[in-house]
Amino acid sequence: MLTSFIKAFKNLFKKPQTIDYPATPIVQDKGHRGLIEYGEESCIYCLKCEKACPPGAILFVPVQDPSQNEKNKKGLAYNYNPYLCIYCGECVRACPKPDEALWQSNKKPQVAVKSDKVNAEWFVLEKLKKQEKTK
Amino acid sequence: MSKKTIHIPLGSQHISLLEPVRFKFECENEKIVGVDSDVGFVHRGIERACTTKFKFDAIGYVVARVCGLCAITHSLSYTVAIEKLLGGEISKKAKYLRILLLELDRIHSHMLCLSHTCENAGFEAMFMRIMGDRELVMEIQELLTGNRIQFDYISIGGVNRDLDVQTAKKIIENLALVKAKVFSYIDEFTNNWSLSLKFKGIGALTLEDAYRFNAIGPLARACGLPIDVRNEIEYLPFDEVGFKMQTHNDGDINARNMVRLNEILNSLEMCENILRGLPEGEIFTKLKGKPKGEALMRFEAPRGELMYYVKGDGSAMLNRVRIKTPTFACIPAFSHIFMGEEYADAPAILASFDPCLSCTAK
Amino acid sequence: MKKIEVALKSVRDEIKSFYDYKKWHFLTLNGVALEDNRMQVQWIFSKYEALDEVVIYYAEIDYTERIPSLSDIIPSAIISQRELVDMFGVEVEGSEKGLYLDEDSMQTPLRSCLV
Repeated sequence: MLTSFIKAFKNLFKKPQTIDYPATPIVQDKGHRGLIEYGEESCIYCLKCEKACPPGAILFVPVQDPSQNEKNKKGLAYNYNPYLCIYCGECVRACPKPDEALWQSNKKPQVAVKSDKVNAEWFVLEKLKKQEKTK
Repeated sequence: MSKKTIHIPLGSQHISLLEPVRFKFECENEKIVGVDSDVGFVHRGIERACTTKFKFDAIGYVVARVCGLCAITHSLSYTVAIEKLLGGEISKKAKYLRILLLELDRIHSHMLCLSHTCENAGFEAMFMRIMGDRELVMEIQELLTGNRIQFDYISIGGVNRDLDVQTAKKIIENLALVKAKVFSYIDEFTNNWSLSLKFKGIGALTLEDAYRFNAIGPLARACGLPIDVRNEIEYLPFDEVGFKMQTHNDGDINARNMVRLNEILNSLEMCENILRGLPEGEIFTKLKGKPKGEALMRFEAPRGELMYYVKGDGSAMLNRVRIKTPTFACIPAFSHIFMGEEYADAPAILASFDPCLSCTAK
Repeated sequence: MKKIEVALKSVRDEIKSFYDYKKWHFLTLNGVALEDNRMQVQWIFSKYEALDEVVIYYAEIDYTERIPSLSDIIPSAIISQRELVDMFGVEVEGSEKGLYLDEDSMQTPLRSCLV
């Protein structure tokens, strides 16, 4: 009885287990697996990341005005869907130039809203890719 | 007593359940005399997706999504089955790191189950305490793998991240804290009236029935049936890191809780041993080729034995991936335990099984 | 992993004489689609407290054949028999459809793997 009183009294002055979010921001650990980031200048367009990605969240699609990278012979552009990505890091492991062309940050994606048209725009890209493959 | 029976459902939405499962009980007054179960509410067709949509090297990440709590065991079983087909040995360090994460996963899963048992006994404060302490384990899992739940730590040929000195130090620190907490739980679970005496003799399974219904996991070990896949496979060196089988003889809810608590202690010991004696070496070996032939791999998930059967024909797409999950195999045993119990005890009994329906329906 | 082929007719007798419930642990019933509308049914057992000892009894059948039930010998087989009925659309004695699939879902999903 006495011990339980002492325990209960001590508990009154304990720090809470929870964080007062959003007043106190949550510090993301340095090694947290977050968004995949891309450096266009260093990319050699080997498309290894596209093949390695389990959900297919990286697509290289031909565009009208490709970047001035000399390795980009087919005129492709990098597209990344953070909402399809599972953040496994398989693309970064497949990349021949990790840290320069493709790396994983510890940032989280923004919450997508309807006006972002995440799905609609991505489906167009997927269709384009499919057409290119059948050619 | 009248001979008329009434039907009372439990689930699929029920205040004491987290999972979508429905039991239809046929009750004679308060006593359950008949059980009918429905477990297929969250069927997602993962077995088919594995053979039609994804190539074999991506499936490790697909099957990890079968279940949130034992994600690591799913991807590990699949990966090892593929490694068997491809041939080639992975390094000892990778094996040790795999055991480390497997045991950390077991600790947090058992803690979750214990907290829900408390909640169903009406002990909310203990529920919150255990859930709060579970964060210590989640924290080190995030440090080690980069994510709290979906670890994506295992790939074909080894593991994805190395363990650095600082992380190892943090893991040892946190595990020591958890260990002290677990001793206090053992005290509560043996001496507190609402957690021990109330649970004694409720939901009991005899050893004979455990054999007959092929019970697995903590459910079987609580009746004294010595089945633990960690004892039955050669692939990972569990005996080197200090695995000890934990059994109990009563078979009731209290026995299951005690088995889980003792397993947490054993897992903590194994983690410490791994960190102290981690061998040197590479964490990743590249394996080449396409899977051909069939392989079967079993591992001990927190809830019991998990089995993967993989069949490939030498192409990138597999022919068959069969997932046998622990809760799925235990459903007949569950139904048997409910017979003869009181309806009011059903939620507490169900929570003590630690069912995982997203595994079951896959 | 030891594989033993049995005829579908004699599978009940074979497993009845083999299965000692204190020695062997019934893992699961598994189906594998083969070519030409055939499938392989596997009954998988493992030995208690033995290292990596797994025995698979298997039979190759047509989808139209009726698979005998083993639920009186192994009570826990009943749930995997129901799964087999759903996934391959075969007939297993005493097991009905509808463990996972509804009437409007895709039927026999694992049958068409090789198509």
